[in-house]
Amino acid sequence: MTEAAIRTPVVGPERKFHIIDTDVHERAELAALVPYLEPMWQKYITDFGWVPERNLPYAQFAAGGLDRADAKLPDGRPGGSDLGLVRKQLLDEYDIDYAVLTGWLDASALHPGWPEFKTALMTAYNDWQIEEWLDRDQRLLGSIHVNAHDPAGAVREIERLADHPKMVQAIMYIADKAYGDPFFLPIFEAAARNNLPVGFHHSENSPTAFGYHRYFVEWHTLVPQVFMSTIISLIFNGVLDKFPELKIIMIEGGFTWAPHLMSRADQQFKQLHSEVPWVKRMPSQIIRDQVRFATQPTEEMSLERFMSLLEWLESDELFCFSTDYPHWDFDSPYEALPLGLPVELKRKIFCENAQALYKKIPALVG
Amino acid sequence: MKQTVCRTSELLPGEMVSGQIGPIPVVVVRASDGTLHAMVAKCLHQGGPLDKGRLYEHVTAQDIGEYIPEKNCEILKCPWHGYEYDIRTGCVLTDPSRRLQQFNVREEGDEVVVELAPPTPAAAST
Repeated sequence: MTEAAIRTPVVGPERKFHIIDTDVHERAELAALVPYLEPMWQKYITDFGWVPERNLPYAQFAAGGLDRADAKLPDGRPGGSDLGLVRKQLLDEYDIDYAVLTGWLDASALHPGWPEFKTALMTAYNDWQIEEWLDRDQRLLGSIHVNAHDPAGAVREIERLADHPKMVQAIMYIADKAYGDPFFLPIFEAAARNNLPVGFHHSENSPTAFGYHRYFVEWHTLVPQVFMSTIISLIFNGVLDKFPELKIIMIEGGFTWAPHLMSRADQQFKQLHSEVPWVKRMPSQIIRDQVRFATQPTEEMSLERFMSLLEWLESDELFCFSTDYPHWDFDSPYEALPLGLPVELKRKIFCENAQALYKKIPALVG
Repeated sequence: MKQTVCRTSELLPGEMVSGQIGPIPVVVVRASDGTLHAMVAKCLHQGGPLDKGRLYEHVTAQDIGEYIPEKNCEILKCPWHGYEYDIRTGCVLTDPSRRLQQFNVREEGDEVVVELAPPTPAAAST
């Protein structure tokens, strides 16, 4: 396998590995979900005007706002609204073998209030996702969206869809709740029981440590904070030790902060572990065993710096490539990572690490 | 080389005393079961004075939220950053591959004596 064969969109049998994109956003208009909602809930959208709560006080100062400017539809719909354009700009353009849809509407990041409606909304969203996307392109894989504020309802939703051959993970967006709280434990138990990884994705309701700064650039720089909080909460509250087979993936938070988190968590554990005697492994080992990172948004860096990150992580199995299409900070499969990566490493980052995470993919590959 | 660190009556179960063998600071601990243990009194982390630390019973858990004290399993906690050592092995609890140098300690008459030599099972005595 030559360098050129990997960095150019080779199609057909010449390419010796698959590209799995672990973060692609499909987009629904709220009205499109209404037919999928149980009738008793429909009027709250059609007549009462419910819309998702959004805390973020800014617009994205990018050419297309939230999306790549060229990913928005001529009729004004946002990027990710049209399967044809997703095929053209992503799946076909980069010869993506599999793309994991990570959604738009996720009740876990909304206000905890009115949990019954939001649990029903997640069921509708998942059914819409399957019918409008997964059933229409074999390359698309899905995420089971749940309402984490209603753990019993979340468990029901996981159980309902766990056997769907293309639903490869449960997903929860992050707001301001630490998911290591035992309140959420049934959700992780259900995911582990069904051999499903859990994806975590930040949201427009993810605060920084100081809430919402004055400018979008500040908030977006600090997005990794909620991913760090999520990982640390799951480790020190014992969730990842209780379910050692459970895998989780941090989506759209980047990865350069991971070595720091592992190092600092290890140091704290050495000094304070008697406070959390249910944690049995060093945090860095828990992360290596059970946590994965979708790569986007990458930061421009030299090959040497990238390799030093891997050296600090002591693993080349933690990163799973992602584009975050159609968002404005989309990462190109051919341009985002440093030039000169060893071919075997590319194979892991672009395919094998995600394949190991998402157990249903090998069956799809055949 | 050996050194008397205290009288036997001055070191009760659950207590510790500091001592010195040549240039080496040592801490001698009498465990709750009465056995004696001696180790270098310098933390492997940043050299904190372990003889100024605290003895605690080890706490374990079978599940989230549990705190189960383990009998006859004391740990020595460094007074600075809290590194913890198993007093019987000298090992860092979170990384048993790291271990404090241990010394032979025994009672001779009414004195507790530390010897610049590795401990022997018979030496960990009351």
